[in-house]
Amino acid sequence: MRIVIAEDDPLLREGLALLLRAESLDVVATAGNAADFLTAVDTHRPEVAIVDVRMPPTHTDEGIVAAVEARRRQPDLAVLVLSAYVEQTFATELLAGGAGRLGYLLKERVGRVKEFLDALHRVAAGGTAIDPEVVTQLLTRSRPDAGLDRLSSREREVLALMAEGQGNTAIAERLFVTDGAVHKHIRSIFAKLDLAPTDRADRRVTAVLRYLESTDSQSVSWNSPPTAAGSSKTRSQR
Amino acid sequence: MSTTRGESPHRRGRLARATGLARATGLARATGLAGTTRLADATRLLGTTRLAGTARSMRPALAQLAGGLGTAVLAFAVLAGLIAAALACLLGIGLLVLPVALRGLHSVADTERTRLTRWGPELIHPGPLPTRLRPAAADPTTRRELRWLAGHATVGLLLGLVAVLLPLSAVRDATCPLWWWLVPRGEASTTMALWTVRDWPGAFAAALLGLGWLAISVGLTPGMARLQARRGRRWLPPDPDLDLSLRVAQLTATRAAALDAHATELRRIERSLHDGSQNRLVAVTVLLGAARRMLERDPAGAEELLERAQSAAEQALAELRSVARGILPPVLADRGLAGALTGLAAACLVPCRVEVDVPDRCAASVEATAYFVVAEALTNISRHSRAEHATITVASRQARLHVQVTDDGRGGADEGHGSGLLGIRRRIEAHDGILTLTSPPGGPTTLSVELPCGS
Repeated sequence: MRIVIAEDDPLLREGLALLLRAESLDVVATAGNAADFLTAVDTHRPEVAIVDVRMPPTHTDEGIVAAVEARRRQPDLAVLVLSAYVEQTFATELLAGGAGRLGYLLKERVGRVKEFLDALHRVAAGGTAIDPEVVTQLLTRSRPDAGLDRLSSREREVLALMAEGQGNTAIAERLFVTDGAVHKHIRSIFAKLDLAPTDRADRRVTAVLRYLESTDSQSVSWNSPPTAAGSSKTRSQR
Repeated sequence: MSTTRGESPHRRGRLARATGLARATGLARATGLAGTTRLADATRLLGTTRLAGTARSMRPALAQLAGGLGTAVLAFAVLAGLIAAALACLLGIGLLVLPVALRGLHSVADTERTRLTRWGPELIHPGPLPTRLRPAAADPTTRRELRWLAGHATVGLLLGLVAVLLPLSAVRDATCPLWWWLVPRGEASTTMALWTVRDWPGAFAAALLGLGWLAISVGLTPGMARLQARRGRRWLPPDPDLDLSLRVAQLTATRAAALDAHATELRRIERSLHDGSQNRLVAVTVLLGAARRMLERDPAGAEELLERAQSAAEQALAELRSVARGILPPVLADRGLAGALTGLAAACLVPCRVEVDVPDRCAASVEATAYFVVAEALTNISRHSRAEHATITVASRQARLHVQVTDDGRGGADEGHGSGLLGIRRRIEAHDGILTLTSPPGGPTTLSVELPCGS
């Protein structure tokens, strides 16, 4: 797996490269700012880009802008965004183009190497990795009448893991239940929330996030075709 | 000042008197200072201490009245202009003249404000005032100016004239014995032509009359000055309500600036926490994670990673300390401003003398700002100035903290180069303070800062 890292903090940048190389992953280039990162993407055509949100000069959202631009130049590029804190607008901005090949994680998740590598592989394979923190925020911020009340506590757990981008098997492992039980929960969730039932991970994530976002989704434009059915359905509910 | 008893042969004499008076007026204006000193001397001769005391207060009073006479003449002209404009309005052409007259009103009122400010508490100039009829009629300041104008152009003018003519008459009559025999016979008379001086007794009587004028002048002038100024002091300050709203606007602006600076400061802290300390800690977790994965495969490599993780953790601690110190240096709380500054000076490579004369503690944020000012100044001195000595003086006077850092280096310090001073300036402005930097090429360099210390 060919990887480019964009992170302005030298210590963290090198630490990350070291960690990935020790896992025999191919870190082809590292960059300290957005411009260098885009050059590296153009030069090395990596499969995955790991991007820090805050980079010079303004230390605001350079990483997000750069990630969006890199995806424009190389649409099949998987992007894993690392952030010092959860900012929902960042997630929204990123997910605007669909949830496939996309990850948004808090920086410290990198320390849990196994989970981090899982997320990295998932994203590289075309899936999604959303930080549990983002999902929690979305869950707590959603309107009380959003229909979440109708879910059982187990169903909520499944929903959260689904929103993170976990597949059925991973969810089953985490919750110590069978695949079949997870499948049943998911069907029940989709039914209760009026979401279009779908199997592909990134579509499920998009659908779930879209539903959770429904409290403040005015500013979001969802133009990803696979979610059109689900989104029209949710919109009709409002 | 005209005579009622004038016979036709005296007409020429009156004319001469009038021109003489005019000349004397000019003279008195030119030598007003010397004249009043002489008056003071004369009163001392009279031996009445009370009068002498009044005389001492007379010089400024007389100067004030003379100045008041000047604005009163202008006010009279403007009043005449306004009345003319009002009459012209009846003819339908007044709207063209009125703005000119109103501009004259604002201008003469402003002149009077400046003049009164010279003699007492400051009168604040209002901003631009309306000169068109409708807004002017609704403008409270313009209405107040009109009230002042009516009084000053009449009573004020009269007071000024009397005040200026009284000492002139006193001099003229008191010196009558010296000159009455020089003018053609029968043409010498007292002020106001009370009587015609034809012989020595008449001349000495005139001299006594002169002393009388002097006494009246000395006695009345201070009161007249107060009377003349009172109208302006009453009507020329801004409307109390308006004054308050101006103050509110000013406070709102400075408060907004302070909040802005506060927000900038919070952003700075947030950034140094997120991009500094937090990144270090993330690096620690990354390195620890990597080390754990490596433990089984390559214990030696894991050991190296652990070593790195530890040094990253230490860096995180150092960053946290510096962030905390950047918010509020703990040394200030422990040892006060004087102790903290002495510590800074001791750490500086250039020998520093520290003089701190601050009897009371200032607000924590003010002390912190002063501390950062000195810290930044000393950093610059040891880096760029090539100075051999530096002096830090801190003093609190009239609820303001004055900080000055001087060095004998090569000068040429520039605020534009390096953002250190810029940050300091922002911090100072947030506290409504003033920063001045003088650094001519060749030195010496002086950084002065004034901060309201709110005590």
